[in-house]
Amino acid sequence: MKLTTALLLFTCFQVSAKAFSQTRITLKLQSTELKKALSIIERKSNYRFLYNDETVKAGTKVDVDANNTPVTDILDKLFANRLLSYKILENNLVVITGKDVEVTETKVSGKITSVQGEVLQGVSVKVKGSTLGAQTDLNGNFSLTVPDNAVLIISYVGYVTQEVSVSGRNSLNISLVASTQKMDEVVVIGYGVANKRDLTGSIVKVLGKDIADKPNTNPIASLQGKVAGLSVVNNGTPGAAPDIRIRGTVSIGQVHPLYVVDGIFNDNIDYLNPNDIESIEVLKDPSSLAIFGVKGATGVIAITTKRAKAGQVVVNFNTNFGFKKLTDKIKLVDANGFNTLFAEENANNSVSTPDYSKLTANTDWINAVTRTGKFNNNNLSIQGSTEKNKFALGLGYIYDEGIVKHQKLDKMQLSFSDEFKLNKALKIGVNLNSSRQHNPYDATAVLDNARKVMPQVSAGTKTFRVANPYGGDSINSNIYSGLATFLQSAGVVNPLLSVENTWDRNINIEYRNVGSIYAELNFLKYFTFRTTMYADISSVNNRTYNPLYYAYDPISGNPYLYGEKTQVSETDDSYRKFQQDHILTFRKSFGDHNITATAGVTTYYFGHFGRTGVAKPYSAGNALPIPDDKRFWYMTTQFNDPNQTIASSSQSEYSTASVLGRVLYNYKGKYYFNASLRDDATSQIPTKNRHQQFWALGGAWELSKESFMQNVSQINYLKLKGSIGVLGNQSASYLDGTPINYPFYPNLNTGISAVFGTNTYAAAQPSWQPNPDLKWETVHAQEIGIEMNAFRNRLHFEFNYFNKTTKDLMTLVDRSVQGLPNLLENGGSIRNWGEEFSATWTQSINHDFSINIGGNITFLQNKVISLSPDIPGGFLSRGFQNNGSAESRTLPGQPIGSYYGYVVEGLYQSYADILKSPSAAAIGAYRPGDFKFKDVNGDGKIDASDRTIIGNPTPKFSYGINVNATYKNWSLGVDVGGVYGNQIFRTWGSLESPFQRVNYSAEKLARWHGAGTSNWVPIISQGDRFNYNGSTYNMEDGSYFRLRNVQLGYALPQSLLSKAKIKGLRLYLNMQNAKTWKHNLGYTAEYGGDATAFGYDNAGGAIPVVTTAGLNLTF
Amino acid sequence: MKKNKIFRWSLILLLPTLITVVGCQKFLDRKPLTATLDDLKQGTLEAQSFGLYNTLRYAGFSTLPWIDFHSIRDDDAQKGSSTTDGAEINTEYETFQYSKDDWAPNTYWNDHYTMINLANKELYYADSLKVTDAASLKNVGEARFFRAYSFFELVKNYGEVPLINFYFTNATDGIKPKSPVDSIYAQIDRDLAVASAYLPVNWSVGGTNIYPGRVTRGAANALWAQSFLFRQKWDSVMKYCNLVIASGQYSLATTFPLIWQDGLNGVGKNGPESIFEMNTNVGQNGTNNNGVQWATSQNVRQGGATNVWNLGWGWNTPTANLESAWPADDPRKTQTILYSGQFDGGQAAGGYGATLPAYNPGPGLDQPFWNKKVYSDPQMRAFTGQILGSGGADWVNHRIIRYADILLMLAEAANEKGDGATAATNLELIRNRASGNKGASRTIVVPIAFTGQAQMRTAIKNERRWEFAMEGYRFYDLVRWGDANAALGGLGYTDRCKYYPIPQKAIDLSGGVLKQNPLW
Repeated sequence: MKLTTALLLFTCFQVSAKAFSQTRITLKLQSTELKKALSIIERKSNYRFLYNDETVKAGTKVDVDANNTPVTDILDKLFANRLLSYKILENNLVVITGKDVEVTETKVSGKITSVQGEVLQGVSVKVKGSTLGAQTDLNGNFSLTVPDNAVLIISYVGYVTQEVSVSGRNSLNISLVASTQKMDEVVVIGYGVANKRDLTGSIVKVLGKDIADKPNTNPIASLQGKVAGLSVVNNGTPGAAPDIRIRGTVSIGQVHPLYVVDGIFNDNIDYLNPNDIESIEVLKDPSSLAIFGVKGATGVIAITTKRAKAGQVVVNFNTNFGFKKLTDKIKLVDANGFNTLFAEENANNSVSTPDYSKLTANTDWINAVTRTGKFNNNNLSIQGSTEKNKFALGLGYIYDEGIVKHQKLDKMQLSFSDEFKLNKALKIGVNLNSSRQHNPYDATAVLDNARKVMPQVSAGTKTFRVANPYGGDSINSNIYSGLATFLQSAGVVNPLLSVENTWDRNINIEYRNVGSIYAELNFLKYFTFRTTMYADISSVNNRTYNPLYYAYDPISGNPYLYGEKTQVSETDDSYRKFQQDHILTFRKSFGDHNITATAGVTTYYFGHFGRTGVAKPYSAGNALPIPDDKRFWYMTTQFNDPNQTIASSSQSEYSTASVLGRVLYNYKGKYYFNASLRDDATSQIPTKNRHQQFWALGGAWELSKESFMQNVSQINYLKLKGSIGVLGNQSASYLDGTPINYPFYPNLNTGISAVFGTNTYAAAQPSWQPNPDLKWETVHAQEIGIEMNAFRNRLHFEFNYFNKTTKDLMTLVDRSVQGLPNLLENGGSIRNWGEEFSATWTQSINHDFSINIGGNITFLQNKVISLSPDIPGGFLSRGFQNNGSAESRTLPGQPIGSYYGYVVEGLYQSYADILKSPSAAAIGAYRPGDFKFKDVNGDGKIDASDRTIIGNPTPKFSYGINVNATYKNWSLGVDVGGVYGNQIFRTWGSLESPFQRVNYSAEKLARWHGAGTSNWVPIISQGDRFNYNGSTYNMEDGSYFRLRNVQLGYALPQSLLSKAKIKGLRLYLNMQNAKTWKHNLGYTAEYGGDATAFGYDNAGGAIPVVTTAGLNLTF
Repeated sequence: MKKNKIFRWSLILLLPTLITVVGCQKFLDRKPLTATLDDLKQGTLEAQSFGLYNTLRYAGFSTLPWIDFHSIRDDDAQKGSSTTDGAEINTEYETFQYSKDDWAPNTYWNDHYTMINLANKELYYADSLKVTDAASLKNVGEARFFRAYSFFELVKNYGEVPLINFYFTNATDGIKPKSPVDSIYAQIDRDLAVASAYLPVNWSVGGTNIYPGRVTRGAANALWAQSFLFRQKWDSVMKYCNLVIASGQYSLATTFPLIWQDGLNGVGKNGPESIFEMNTNVGQNGTNNNGVQWATSQNVRQGGATNVWNLGWGWNTPTANLESAWPADDPRKTQTILYSGQFDGGQAAGGYGATLPAYNPGPGLDQPFWNKKVYSDPQMRAFTGQILGSGGADWVNHRIIRYADILLMLAEAANEKGDGATAATNLELIRNRASGNKGASRTIVVPIAFTGQAQMRTAIKNERRWEFAMEGYRFYDLVRWGDANAALGGLGYTDRCKYYPIPQKAIDLSGGVLKQNPLW
């Protein structure tokens, strides 16, 4: 807070510093190199020297003894007997020449733009051989007085440096070419941009054009396999966010990265139109992340949206259309298979098979609930700019159907940005992204329900004459089948019955407006002050109507009311997020010293206000149901009984206030140093630890600029780098990842009440114990790396080793074993470490053909070092299915979320086999055909203590390869990728509740049915609970290799287009997820989750093959 | 001129920064937008007391774990349900292979210590507030009652347990070794002395009980009497039973089925015989749901969610042993056992005029007998909407202590003290009511005259078995009478099964301070 005052004062001092100059200096030198003497004089005066090395030869030693002497006198003495003369130009540039050489002074001015005509501000224009230079102003203009034969070096971040001879000219107009080299990229670094060359960390940039033409509603899904260190586990539901982790799983709470969209912090980017994205930067290392303080630990994905480029008006239209198809369908038995296995199961258990002969269908239930989905994305953008104003407008519409029937997302997006220059020093601007989307009908359970229903149940409808459930008359109604309740009841439903009757009775609309206004002031040449106010206001309204509808009993053939009561439920969530950034940046070069310093204050506010309500109809007498009409799907409509209309709300907010500072420094563009510091104060932490500080230091050495590297011609660029820092994780959550909004203020448990008779009285019971010592967990991170260009810059290679140790894990310790409320406390540590390699090779074979091949691979290891000592048993457990028998344990010494269970050695083949094996009676009754679990601890009996770690959900390595080739107007892009070395926990077909009768997985056809018939798939019997323990039988190899994306494009020749006044027209065909090579039985090998439980295959998650065709038109 | 302009712009831009900074402290002070305990101020003590009643509805007090410990373990009740449902409970509680680490026993332990810690916390608050007003003292009485109740259940089930009678927040402060059984009972005595003094005789205002089911002096004295019964302190048993009787607050329900009656508007709940009753309520169509699965877990089960007779999970069902041992002339038999495939007997027999499907595991009912004491009224099923797809009876109260126990405890203590007449008198009150108040000349559930202490002892033991069948008394009665080996030995009971092993998790957490029970 005091910093601001200091900044203000600093500003004032600088104002008065400008008039100060001197021409007299005091200098005492003995036997000093003339060059060094000149550079000392440069430092002590405002003169700059220009000479070449032939004129001022090395080894020339001088003595100087001057006391408050004019510089010109000193120079006269220095050059007197050395055959040198000098001339002082208008701007105190001292040109040193040999005697008798005439120096003609010339004043040169010019304008520097990009090749596209965009005005470039802040371009460095240096006189070669001197430290004198200038920067371009807001209009790209510069002016310098130089000798008429001077050479100017023009450099600018992101562009190729040029040398231009003045050759007596007074006016130079220079256009710069954007650099294609990775190290010259301009990257977003948080509160500013920088040339990647000036940084000491690892930032990977992905261009928006690589995302815009991919058929993913969520842009992050397109990053899979493209960025080393970034794990993307996709999800088949339209619009759903993938499970994203950067460089491992750093917490037992919050692990998803921070998104920063044009400066605003966010936890998702669902509102963004992929077509509005200019670039995505992935920030991974401490020196890049410390500036994000308490939100930096999980990594940052920074997104920059499109801005108008200088020049003329550009209109772009991009559209694509395509189809989605289910692939890698899971295999289940058909009616015959079911009959065989069911009869055998009943025989195994000596029970008679009930008569279900009235069920005669042979339905493939997965086919019955899936379809070919459509995908359509249309975008129009208009950009224009004048000297004073830059303007961009985008409009998008996405229609994205899932492969499950009736699942679809449609989304309209609007983006607008405008920047206006008030005067030379000040510009103001506004950004706005608005979206409206109809969220998809929640079909997550449909695939799972479909595989459970026995194939004998018909997927069709039958027509019945039934009483209109909404009125007295009779109607003909097409009715879906119910299930035979004596076979399938609890937990099994005909998915079509609910999907077909309810999908259009759900209205889920999300509105989101994210915007900012900013003002940026340039002053005193080197300073920029930028103030930005952001707001993100969104609301989600979700209304569900339960209609009245029939099912028919497949045994009796009679219809019955399945949806028996109408009801309207509504949830309304509004989110308000506000952010302010006030950032001062100082950028200057002092001789060989180049410095960019940033300081600022920022605040953030998050508020969530949710309401939920349920309305039911009157129930007495002849009361009417709530009609099946959208008009009445609200809380109060006169059809609702006020006594049965219940509403409740939940709300929470938090805020943070932070001070930050960062210095990027380099010496001669050879030695780099980055430092950043941030202090975050938060409302969520008790006063004692309210402020926490995060920092990072980084250094880099560009070896390729050293003289000893000049002869190594194969290597064009080589940089060694390293950084170290402490990052924060603002993470307070229950074990399943649900956030705890007020870590320091325990809520009262809801629904706590005393009942006396029919009256209820609210009771008070805090949900956990407040802990005054609570603080945020921290990640102590280190990185070292290499960046290299070789073979005429065709090869670009990067390597990083990273090591991150999370400390003080914020843990909600369950103390129920002591009858105590839970306690949030800090304890425990997790380490993630690994190596990232990435390389690209770019080559133009000839004028028509060029190719670019890139690849990356990330090796990652994760280990829990310790956990809070108060955790009962010393481990965190997450259990799913059948009494939690599908278990993940997080325990010291093992990777986070390791799968836990028995080791299957085979099956008991006979009673003799059982007798000669250790007893497993402690687990339950068993018989031949059941699993033979391993006596892991070797104590001669098999019991719960023989459970052990049986799998790791984190891949040992993940990789991606991208190939892009262009031939004349054709282009072909192929992306492949995969992961290796992780396990999947398959729960279906083995661990679902044994109370429910589900269709058999096709794998069961290879079951044990007598000695020697199988040593892996156990006897068919839901009664054998022994086999319903999680074990290596459920472990599957999670490695996969996928043809992620193939795109063929054709750009129409310019000659053809120019007649139609079209600037560009590109047509393309794209295929995503064409083929996956995997080893597990599920639909896919990708299963996300939360920090301590991921990689579970619960018979869902199908990821479709998407084929699209598109065109991109610019005029 | 230019500099001035820049300076002016700087100030304008810095202004919001400064405003932000000045407002910083306020910006960061954010309490939850819902109440915390601190916000309740004066209401804290009573609200905390109410929290104890909420905890009484936890599983360890009122659903499966309680049923496992208190009822399924004996020879008259069994797990029930389908053979596959909760198979591990069969092993643990029916065959006495107690588990040191399973959901049910762990939950039982945890929930009782949860209650104790909540009571400790409330008492700590009361101490620090130095309350002296009548209303607050009643709250103190409630906290003492629930602490005593929890320790009594723990001492019955585990013997020696850690005596946590203080408030603590740091987990390590709560690690204590086990205290002797006598110390636990001494704590129960201290707590009930205070509860008995502070709790009101009833919660009537102008003749209306405004808090049906809220604990009273009578509840404290009745619990105290039970605790003396387990210590065989017969004088004290008689003293506190007589205090309850003399209070005039309680009487036997006129007929046995009335005790268990279920119906609209709370009919049958908190009757004249109820001394301590866990209250629960489910409103129309499931609104205002403060239900508990006490009766849901025990009601008739028919596999298949949409089946008419899917009234619950069907646990805690009568054994064939109970059914066959029960004298056929005792109406309580058919008022306690609900038979599959038979008419439920209508109102007179505690039924509602329905006929159950036949016993036929799989498609029909999985058990031949069901616990009729929790049989739900179809009117309530319709009213609450807990029918068909969501079978349940979450509105049924758990009758924890009833007046009949006072009379039978008095009879038992009097008999042990050699007062056969008092024993016979009180026994007769129970038997006469069981017969349907047919008087001394009746031919069913005939009066039993005192002929000797041993004869009367046997009569009282039998009476407790029939009167309290399925209610969770029998296992503890058998243990304290020394009859457990004889009655349960065949099922696998041995002496070490008197006490359940302390959960392994609690022992692990204590770092060895807490020792496992002998022989486990």
